[in-house]
Amino acid sequence: MGTKTLRPTIPCFLFGCADLCDRARVPFTTRASKKSLRSMKGLCLTLEPATVMEADVHKMSVPLENGSLAPVDRLRSERSDSPTPGLVEGTEPGAGQDSAMFVHAQSFEDLTAEGEQGQEQEEVQEEEEGESERAPEFGELGDSEETQEPEGKEEQEQEERENEKEEEDQSGSGRAKEEDVNSEAWRRHRKHVFVLSEAGKPIYSRYGTEEALSSTMGVMMALVSFVEAEKNIIRSIHADGYKVVFLRKSPLVLVGVSRCRQSERELTRELLYIYYQIISLLTLTQLNHIFQHKQNYDLRRLLAGSEHLTDNLLRLLDRDPGLLLSAVTCLPLASSSRDVISSSLQAAKAKSLVFSILLAGSRLVTLVRKKDQFLHHMDLHLLFNLVGSSSSFREGEGWTPICLPKFNMAGFFHAHISYLEPASELCLILVSTDREDFFNLSDCKRRFLERLRRRSSYQALQEAVQAPSYPVSQVGIPELRHFVYKSKSSGLYTSPEIPVPYKCEEEEERLMDLYQYLHSRMHHPTRPLRSIYHCAEKENLLAYVTSGFELYLCFSPLGTKALAVSAVNKLLKWIRKEEDRLFILNPQTY
Amino acid sequence: MSGHRVDAKVVMLGKESVGKTSLVERFVHHRFLVGPYQNTIGAAFVARQVQVGDKVVTLGIWDTAGSERYEAMSRIYYRGAKAAIVCYDLTDSSSFLRVKFWVKELQNCEEHCKIYLCGTKNDLVENDRSMRQVDYHDVQDFADEIKAQLFETSSKTGSNVDELFQKVAEDFNNTAFQIITGEKGVDLGQKKNDYFYSCCHH
Repeated sequence: MGTKTLRPTIPCFLFGCADLCDRARVPFTTRASKKSLRSMKGLCLTLEPATVMEADVHKMSVPLENGSLAPVDRLRSERSDSPTPGLVEGTEPGAGQDSAMFVHAQSFEDLTAEGEQGQEQEEVQEEEEGESERAPEFGELGDSEETQEPEGKEEQEQEERENEKEEEDQSGSGRAKEEDVNSEAWRRHRKHVFVLSEAGKPIYSRYGTEEALSSTMGVMMALVSFVEAEKNIIRSIHADGYKVVFLRKSPLVLVGVSRCRQSERELTRELLYIYYQIISLLTLTQLNHIFQHKQNYDLRRLLAGSEHLTDNLLRLLDRDPGLLLSAVTCLPLASSSRDVISSSLQAAKAKSLVFSILLAGSRLVTLVRKKDQFLHHMDLHLLFNLVGSSSSFREGEGWTPICLPKFNMAGFFHAHISYLEPASELCLILVSTDREDFFNLSDCKRRFLERLRRRSSYQALQEAVQAPSYPVSQVGIPELRHFVYKSKSSGLYTSPEIPVPYKCEEEEERLMDLYQYLHSRMHHPTRPLRSIYHCAEKENLLAYVTSGFELYLCFSPLGTKALAVSAVNKLLKWIRKEEDRLFILNPQTY
Repeated sequence: MSGHRVDAKVVMLGKESVGKTSLVERFVHHRFLVGPYQNTIGAAFVARQVQVGDKVVTLGIWDTAGSERYEAMSRIYYRGAKAAIVCYDLTDSSSFLRVKFWVKELQNCEEHCKIYLCGTKNDLVENDRSMRQVDYHDVQDFADEIKAQLFETSSKTGSNVDELFQKVAEDFNNTAFQIITGEKGVDLGQKKNDYFYSCCHH
């Protein structure tokens, strides 16, 4: 192993290695740099015994929180307009009327104990939920916390961000593939993601070419297998302000290296997204088959051309609140128009059709599904990403195999993807089980479009697509700059357009960073919070979670805590009033 | 896979980034998009009408993705195709190796499919002769051997693109006529076998 060449890239790996070797008294790396190793402080390894099962397996039948989007079949009480509506799941503003549109389609993998790492996370969050139900009154804060950010830190981060920006500008193109992996610029990226095979072969790197990183990836694999030899699983390494997170999904290994404030768990979740992205192109069956046949297969051959999908997904993970909140946002549209569109889509059905999805950019217009079949928000995000990162579907009618990993990891669906009109943002995705059914689905689209064109709703829809989303000022809360509200039972979220102070890319990302930070605090595995008031350098934020909804608010620095607390009720009332427009309340099935 | 609104199914095959999509784009929309390379996902379908004499032939063109990932799927795209346009990049000799693969595949699975070889990016070669990596005469020999036709096109300038598709439509028109006249003589048992074969195979 080339110790010398590796150290400058990711020093903590080596240190981690050697540290382990010391403990285990196994000669592993050269001992030459031992002295310097000792001097390295603050290194901590999180290890978890592989054999420990999660204790709460029996709790799985309970609807899962965050990301689960389980249908609520229980009878709903009257939709309330009381001062604190929606503290219980299913009655919050934005909750669907009959049943949820998506669900945590529990695949076999989810139900087996070792399947999903996210599983145990969801359980922890579930406990959280229970806790908040016990203390529903906002204000009596058992778990509430107020934080004042040390200014220095923020400044430093800001500076780093700027540096990075500059460097990116210098490097020119968005996909900085040809970047020198030994350069300072490469090391300074905020978040690296690597995917490798169990043989240590590089499959994907966010920055720099995979070839140049093959030795680094070799070290990563060595670390993973070294820890595994002792019947442990390596989860993360924390050192020098960096978090190195490992996700082992045989036959792949995913590694994230980050120096932002996101928690280890959030990073793992992001890696899981990347894993699912790869599965969606290949299916797990094919992936396993390939590596069973040839352990050192170069998977890049099969993934050729998909790098930009992964790149774009990583960008979305940095920027899109939907991926953070495990929710989808809708195009604001009068419910009467939306219902007409839904029923037109519903009428244009075919035997093999499972889901019909109409998108406006990255916003959902409507989704019609086969009875008893639910789409998981992760799968939907993967579809969004597929459509959003490729102009390929503008050429004609697209027909592509796609695996929806949360639905079923083993097989392909076949998606008919096309834009309603050549220059339109409206994209129709028809997901079918039959790969021979292209012309049938093509006909479905034609029928849908014909039906829609005869109705005035099409005009309304086109206007809604053209119009900007709503400004935050509509809510009428002073000092409120931005918010994100997620209805847990419907799995939908709403958010006003990004206001002026955050219009530029950098600032928008900074705002998202803050939300991400609050999100990870709220959903901390051992110390979850119900609410948090956070004074950042340039804004004040409030996050509030109940069993019914999740809410993140951003105020100007002039906002006070009292104002923020009173804003919650006001905002909930406003959302209740607008929910017909902002959410899909009448999800349809064929 | 056969649609009622399409007369002839045409499939575009070839290694990734040889310019299959650009070729279709030029033929269908008469334009050449400059910008970062975007690979096709799965396949894209477009229908276009071509005037042949006093008849109109609708070509249903399947623009397939070149990535190896979709290779196992490719059969659903070329099954029953009347014509296959197998593309290669004149400036990339490795792309011609893929042509041989596709030709073999077609000969094995779709014997009634007419093959058209298409060397793309001719404008690059015309600007700079040294760019050419695939010799015209070598390909012509290969084409004769497999009874295919050869075109060298440029989607950027549009040269030879319409001619290629025109030829595809004309050939289809002629053979379609032949099949109709020849049909009467075909023995039914033979036809059944054919059907059985394709059924089993796919």
